[in-house]
This record gives sequence, structure tokens and C-alpha cells, in this order.
Amino acid sequence: MSAAVGAERPQVVSHVQQALSYTVFDCKWVPRSARLLCLGSAARGTGIVQLYELHGARLELLREIEKPKPIKCGTFGATSLQQRYLATGDFDGNLNIWNLEAPEIPVYSVKGHKEIINSIDGVGGLGIGEGAPEIVTGSRDGTVKVWDPRQNDTPVANMEPVQGESKRDCWTVAFGNAYNQEERVVCAGYDNGDIKLFDLKNMSLRWETNIKNGVCSVEFDRKDINMNKLVATSLEGKFHVFDMRTQHPTKGFASVSEKAQKSTIWQVRHLPQNRDIFMTSGGSGSLHLWKYQYPAQRSKKDSEGSEMGVAGSLSLLQNVTLSTQPISSLDWSPDKKGLCVCGAFDQTVRVLIVTKLNKI
Amino acid sequence: MPVWLREHSWRQTLTAVYLSLPLRGARATPSSIFCSEQFLKVSIPPFLFEAVLYAPIDDTNSTAKIGNGNIFFTLYKKEPAMWDSLTLANTDKEKLQYLRENAVLKAQEKAKEETEARKITKQEHKKYTLEATMKVEEAERKRIEDLKEKERQKVVKELELWKKQQKDGDKNKSIQKTGELYQEIEPLKERKNEKMKKTQIPNEGTSKTRLKSAKGSCSIFSQNSKEEQLPAPRAAATIQISFTPRVFPTALRESRVAEEEEWLHKQAEARRIINSDLSELEDLKEEEKNPDWLKDKGNKMFAMGDYLGAVNAYNLAVRLNNSLPVLYLNRAACHLKLRNLHKAIEDSSKALELLTPPVPDNENARVKAHVRRGTAFCQLELYTEGLQDYEAALKIDPKNKIIEKDAEKIRNLIQGTMQSS
Repeated sequence: MSAAVGAERPQVVSHVQQALSYTVFDCKWVPRSARLLCLGSAARGTGIVQLYELHGARLELLREIEKPKPIKCGTFGATSLQQRYLATGDFDGNLNIWNLEAPEIPVYSVKGHKEIINSIDGVGGLGIGEGAPEIVTGSRDGTVKVWDPRQNDTPVANMEPVQGESKRDCWTVAFGNAYNQEERVVCAGYDNGDIKLFDLKNMSLRWETNIKNGVCSVEFDRKDINMNKLVATSLEGKFHVFDMRTQHPTKGFASVSEKAQKSTIWQVRHLPQNRDIFMTSGGSGSLHLWKYQYPAQRSKKDSEGSEMGVAGSLSLLQNVTLSTQPISSLDWSPDKKGLCVCGAFDQTVRVLIVTKLNKI
Repeated sequence: MPVWLREHSWRQTLTAVYLSLPLRGARATPSSIFCSEQFLKVSIPPFLFEAVLYAPIDDTNSTAKIGNGNIFFTLYKKEPAMWDSLTLANTDKEKLQYLRENAVLKAQEKAKEETEARKITKQEHKKYTLEATMKVEEAERKRIEDLKEKERQKVVKELELWKKQQKDGDKNKSIQKTGELYQEIEPLKERKNEKMKKTQIPNEGTSKTRLKSAKGSCSIFSQNSKEEQLPAPRAAATIQISFTPRVFPTALRESRVAEEEEWLHKQAEARRIINSDLSELEDLKEEEKNPDWLKDKGNKMFAMGDYLGAVNAYNLAVRLNNSLPVLYLNRAACHLKLRNLHKAIEDSSKALELLTPPVPDNENARVKAHVRRGTAFCQLELYTEGLQDYEAALKIDPKNKIIEKDAEKIRNLIQGTMQSS
């Protein structure tokens, strides 16, 4: 804990800690409620979904669901607010959408990939954004597939390596730029440091770059606006913030990078209520809260007269070490500003409250 | 012989004795005074004054004042009584001696006790300061903790408040929803009724069921209208991607980049160097000036068994470019076949030198170099050196059975020679 209970800095207060009997890979708030979901893998090799409710200073277990395969990731991004179906990706490459009230049979199920689904994201649901709800999954088999829950068995978009080329694991995926019904963009990060931006309207690769170290997590600051900022975190403690408003024909997007911790940065999550504040979680069990400041001019002309973006600057608002093991998952509550849940590899899930975010 | 000081004067009260001792010019220091309960001695060499006191005194509180050429003693009596004289009369030598010794011992004990007491007080002081600092730090820590607790509680209260709001909000919403549903059902019912009025009578029988289904279908209606707002699922398409190529098959985090870069650099350099000096080279054909071509030629000749020719080819290649390790490696193989063992050793050593830094890329080459040098050593009967090289080769490539077998053979040979010698 930082020693100075300084005047205006946001504080990260650990509200509840819950020890679990399985490895938790992902934790998510259930939208419009004080309930959270923990997804993981039990020691006996089965998948666990646990639903908790926040009651005062403790978490009460409402429901536990066990599935045959360990579950790696989940999202509520593509369901409506009334239904709140959970989409999960498991170790076997299956994409399932569950109704948590009746979890025996999935609402939608497909064996999407040959290997573990590392990351999943959903867009178009929860009353956020426009367009059809879609789910994107990124897998260890090197492919990134976009699914529409109304279409069974085949993905609506498939980003796969050229036949015969060696594949690289896809570690993370994120949706963005979904500001109207047609536009949508998927960003994927791979283990060799590649970041690729796919435009789903034109079905083409819009931009790619390589940040040298494997990309652990990518996230746009908002999915439902014209793409503004993208944060990509990687191994060895580095993360990059790309300014996505201006794309230069050869140089791509401008970026600023920061080396925060000596260890891998596992996750980055933007605060839903303020898109310039985000939290990164690290392999040393620490959380860092950052603020991005825009530069005076977001774009400028280069020597040939084409527009080039200008990256801003980052400042560290707070940092706290909660655990000795990596904090692998992080989620902000969309309903209460500053409430977040994080799951770590020491088999605990913690609910944290970040104070004074109003004053930033 | 000490000079006794006898000119002392004294007077007494009920509780104290005042003794004045003139010093005949001698300088007195506190260490020259020795006092115990019943014995008083002043020793300033060569002067000496001793007194066995009439009654015991309280030597800790008694004082001596040194100044003005004399010492003024203030001795407090242990028992208030008037003394007949200052000293005990008729004391014999033995008693005196005994008293003296006793006095000395007592004084020593007292000194010891005093130091003990002082030590104890010092420790206690230390403890006290430690406790005091600990308390201060505790207080500080507590203050910080309290601040944090307050924050936490504030935040928790807010959370509870928000949760309550959520619950109420949900209740309201559900009430609203059912209200809306009813509202939706009403106009639908009306529409259905109108339709039925228009249709013929036989349909009236089914009107009831239609009404019922109307209620159920209103939700379908609402869903349908919503679905119409969403675009149809995308037309399926595939985007082909390719990944950033790397010279080495491993990702950045797995490779030893610095060394591999160095190795690549060296190779590139080596290729660029062309030692184009010697005039004899002028009458060679163009291709014969290319070290790679010469290397290939050499390899072919080696394969055919023309070892001398191969050596010539490699020699020329080396003259043109002396930093390609493969040339030395191959030449070493030729020398082995020709049984020029020393030259073979030289060449493999040069090859190994050029094959630094050790990276997975030049593993095979290094294994070969070690093996060739090892063979040469063994043929020269320098078995230990040979074994060293074989072991080095094994370290690089532990799965090679042939190298293992040969290493075993050498080990046995060494043991055999050692036993026999």
C-alpha cells in the first residue's frame, strides 16, 4: 500500500476478499446489479462458473455451475440487458452462450476453434452502441473468429493465417469503432508481438504493427464510439497507448509507451465512466491506475503533408500491490464508478473500490 | 619509607566529623584518597596518612575537599555518637593490616556494585527510549490506518446506498414493464376484436384461442420489431493474415537476441570480406575467385576421395576470405583423412574460434568441429584432450549416440592405459 494517504490521489481500497477453491481465469460484473461472476478451472479439470452477490463486507455465493471443460474467458458484451446471457470460451475451443437462470443447456454453442480460446469480447449488447450483437474469439490456433448468435456453426468473419504459414497464438481480442450499424473493428494481439486491426465493414486488414513482446491484452477506450485510443499491454512490463483518430498511410498510429512494472502486464481495463483512466494489472500482483492526457494538438502534418497523429502523455495516479501472484483478470463495474473486481492466481477474487475518481 | 602526615586537626559534631589534613606542598588528586567504612588513607607519594577510625562512617556520603594546601574531610557517622578520639587507640599491626585489607576488599565490592547499578540503569534507559519510539511510531501508523478505515467506511456506505437504489430501481422497472405489457396487449386485443368482427361467424369459435395466443404473441411482436431494427448477420468472409517474420523461429522472449544478432552480423561481415590482393589471383577465372564456389568444389572432391584437391580448393578459398568457419571445418575433415593430424587440430580450432558466439544456429557446425578435433587428438594418442572435445560435443548435442559411444571408448582406453602404466 502506498504510504502517503495523500490529499487528492485516488486510493484503492480493498473491500472484500474471497478465497476460492479453483483457479479463477476471468471475473465479470453482471450488468445492472451488484453481482459478479467468476469463471475458472477446478483442480479436477472441469469448468466452474460461480455467481456471487455483494452483501456488505462479504460475497455471498448465489450459484455454482460446473461444466465439463475449464472456462477461460467470458463476456456480457453481446446480450441485451433483459437477458444478460453469458458468452464463454473454454479450454477446448468451444464458444457457448448461457442463460444463467437455466444453465444446463447453452443457448448457443459451437466448437469454434481447435485449441483453447484465449480471449473473448462482445459488442452490440447491453444497450451500448449500435448494430448487431457479435462475439469475437481469439484462440491459440492463431485464428480470430467473429460470431453472430443468430447464425449457427459458422463464423461471420474469420481471420486466419495463410495456408502453410506457421501460426502464432492469439492472446487477446477487442472490438471497437462500433459507432453505427455498419462500422466495426476487431483488434487482435498475438504472442509474437503482432497487433492487427481488422475492419469488418470492408473485411480487410486495416493496420498491423509489432511491439516486439507478446501482447497480453488490448482494449479500446470505448467500443461504441469512433475509435479513439487503444491500449496494448505486453510482457516485460511495457504497454503502449495508440491514438487511433489519425492513421498515417505508412507510419500507422502514433503511440506512447510506458514501462510500468518489471513483470508481465496481464490486463488493461478502462473505466467505463471516464475513458481516459485505465487500470493495468501485473504479474507481480500489483495494480496501476493511469490517466492519459491528450496533447495540445492531436494531429499534425508531416513532411509530405499527410496527417499524422500525436500521442499524449501518461501519468500514474496510484499503484498498489495486493497479491504475490499475478492478477490475471480485472473488471470495472459499469454501474458504480470506482467499483472493480479482480481475480488473481492465488485463487482469490477481490472487490476493490477506487476513491476520488470524481476529482480527476 | 613513606613520610607520615601527622599534623591533622579535627573536630566533631554528633553526626559528623570534620578532619583537616595539611599537605606539605604535595598535590592531592581524588585518586590519592582511599576511604572505607572504618579506614581512611591518603597516599601522595612519598606522603602517607592512615587512620583507623573510631567508629564506622558512611563513606558514600562523606566528602573530601581538596584545596588550599590541605584536604578537608567531612565524614558522616553511621551512628550519631561523640567519639573519644579520631582513631582507634592501641591498634596493633595485625589488626591494622586486617582492617586495611578488609577495607580494600570492601571498596572493591562497592565499586563493582556501583558499576552493576550503573549498567542496569543504562539498560533501563535504553528500554525506555525504545518503548517511547515504538509508541510514537504506533501512534503514527494508527493514525494512517484510521484515515484509511474512515475512507473505507465512507465508500462502503455509498455502496450500500447505491445497491438499495438499484434494487428499488429494479422493482420500479419491473412494475413499469408489466404496465407496458398490459398497455401493449390492450390495443392488440382491440385489433384482434375488430378483425374477428369483420371475419365470418365460424371463426368466432377460434377467437378465444386467438385472444390467448395474442397475449403470448405480443412479446413475439415486440421481439420481431426489435429484430427488424438490427441488421442481418454479416455475410461470412475470411481475412487471410500473415505474421511478422523472424529470422529465428522463436519469439522475442525465448530467443537470445543479442547473441543471435552478433552471429548474424558476423556472418554478413564474413561474406563481405574479399581478400583481393595477390596478383596470382588475376589469372584465375571469375568463378574461381568466389569462396562459395570453391567451397562447393572442395566438398565435391572430398566426396570423391580427392583429399589433396579438396585441400587446395579450401586453401584458395581461405586466402580469399579467411573468416568463413565452414572452410576451416571442411579442411579439417580433409586433413583428418590425410592423417595430417596437427593441421586438422589447427583448423578445427580456428573454426571453433570463428563460431562464437554460441547460438542454436551454429550448433551443428560446433559439434562437427569438436568431433573432428577430438578424433585428431585420439589419433595422436592424446586421449584426455580428445575426451574433452567429445564431451563438449555431447554437451551441445546430448542425443547423438555415435558421439556417446566414441566418448565411452576413449574413456575405456584412458582407463586401460592408466592401469597398465
